[in-house]
Amino acid sequence: MTRHQLQILSLVLVGVVSFGLPLVLRSPTYLHILILLYLYAYLTSSWNLVGGFAGVLPLGHAAFVGIGAYTSTILSLQYGLSPWIGMIVGGILAVLVGILIGLPTFKMRGAYFALATIAFGEGIRVMVENIDYIGPLKLNGPRGLEIPPLKTGLTHFMFAGKEPYYYIILVMLILVITITYLISQSKLGYYLNAGGEEPEAAMALGVNVVRCKLIALAMSSFLTALAGTFWAQFTLFIHPKSVISLDMSFEIAFIALIGGRGSIAGPVLGALLLRPVSDFSRIYFGDKLPGLHLIIFGVVLILVMLYQPRGLQEPLTRAYNRLLDRLTGARAEQALGRSRA
Amino acid sequence: MSFLEVNHIDVFHGDVQVIFDLSLHVEEGEVVSIIGGNGAGKSTLLKTISGLLEPAAGEILFQGSPIHSQPPETIVERGIIHIPEGRRLFTLMTVKDNLIIGAYNRRADGLKEATLEQVYTLFPRLRERQSQLAMTLSGGEQQMVAIGRGLMALPKILMLDEPSLGLAPLLTKNIFEAVRAIADQGTTVVLVEQDVKHSLGMSDRGYVLEHGRTVMEGPAAELMNDPHIKTAYLGL
Repeated sequence: MTRHQLQILSLVLVGVVSFGLPLVLRSPTYLHILILLYLYAYLTSSWNLVGGFAGVLPLGHAAFVGIGAYTSTILSLQYGLSPWIGMIVGGILAVLVGILIGLPTFKMRGAYFALATIAFGEGIRVMVENIDYIGPLKLNGPRGLEIPPLKTGLTHFMFAGKEPYYYIILVMLILVITITYLISQSKLGYYLNAGGEEPEAAMALGVNVVRCKLIALAMSSFLTALAGTFWAQFTLFIHPKSVISLDMSFEIAFIALIGGRGSIAGPVLGALLLRPVSDFSRIYFGDKLPGLHLIIFGVVLILVMLYQPRGLQEPLTRAYNRLLDRLTGARAEQALGRSRA
Repeated sequence: MSFLEVNHIDVFHGDVQVIFDLSLHVEEGEVVSIIGGNGAGKSTLLKTISGLLEPAAGEILFQGSPIHSQPPETIVERGIIHIPEGRRLFTLMTVKDNLIIGAYNRRADGLKEATLEQVYTLFPRLRERQSQLAMTLSGGEQQMVAIGRGLMALPKILMLDEPSLGLAPLLTKNIFEAVRAIADQGTTVVLVEQDVKHSLGMSDRGYVLEHGRTVMEGPAAELMNDPHIKTAYLGL
């Protein structure tokens, strides 16, 4: 078997396992944990378009989750529109807000950009918390919105069991990974990378760094808002602290930094590692030590930054490549032996 | 009308004025050296011409039309390419990808395969190393990539900021030979250097900058023999 075939085989294997898991794993608790794992892998991959490829550190992405969640929920509660339509509308709205945020903030560098995005994210949360109505649209302030589980089915984006949600977020995750992969191979990916590392050199070559970053942010906020709709339909209750929380923005950045920002596998590996920590610390220590998972994240982040500054994807990718070498090398030797005999 | 004309510009970094009422001109096909000590405003001048900085007063004309209020990408499109000081490579990309990014502008994009071939002919070392990460190259090779990346943008005027910075004497010689070859092929070159002997030695004309002002200008050979330049920059 060639190296390429082995790579495809391992991808197929991962695919079969992730699609087959709900058939084996009947416990709703574990399915719930997996759904959140995929959701965070999805959110972090979307974030990665800006935070990884463009080399800046946005810490306000929860705002886009909130925009997606609120838009689809309001449209379905008040106008009876299917959440799938609301999902797209929310995405478009998030793009507009993203560009409004990006225009002033992309002129800043380093920590100033990060701080400015926190301010925008928190600003949007505080606004939603204090607004009951925007014209005819009911936001209901801090009390949030409840989605009554009246009709189930695919068109209503509402299901009795957790399995359909599992498959929806899995497909969304596969799509977002494909999109980030395609962008990383595109011209835009290279320009983002160049502008992130040496903005002045990139500009001197005529790369419009700010425009490239704005395009990346627009795509990122669109994709992030889609996850907001999913989150709303999954929990059937949204309020500002749940869908626009700073914790969520931070957790996305944690996952990316630990997994390896700017890589395709990093966000998925990071979520695979950190989400269980998050969930199990909530299950076992939630009453006595709430927020313990953030302390663990902090310690892991310090260790990773000290020893693997490009994230855990790097040693893991290396190990995977060595494994492939060993497998293909062994086969080559075998073939050699056979021809000699 | 000169090819590139800088007329009475003032440039500030924040509140600090770096360039005072500076004028110069560059003719098509010339190699012009700009020399001066640290803080004389050489790099600032290049950044202003390439649009990374905007002059507070004065004008910059390229082929007769003003460029001083245009964004860098438009100026690149017009054909003025600035190779900033300190190489500034995209270290985690391969040599080839670094070069290809140089062909960002629309004029250069369609011709990039042919230009890449020319760059590899000029720097055969880069062809050998094309799939290596830029961070693994030696200083001299990195400077070759930086120059090659500038050439990929198909410059009408190539502005180099301290290409010999931090290089061993032999490599410095190689780099200057490459710049000479680029000029001989018809590209106009503006060269900012601290290595005055080498840069004036290969230039047609030179300007001497001190404290943000032009204090001297003239044919390179004349400047080389000027007593002030001999004592201040050549240490003779």
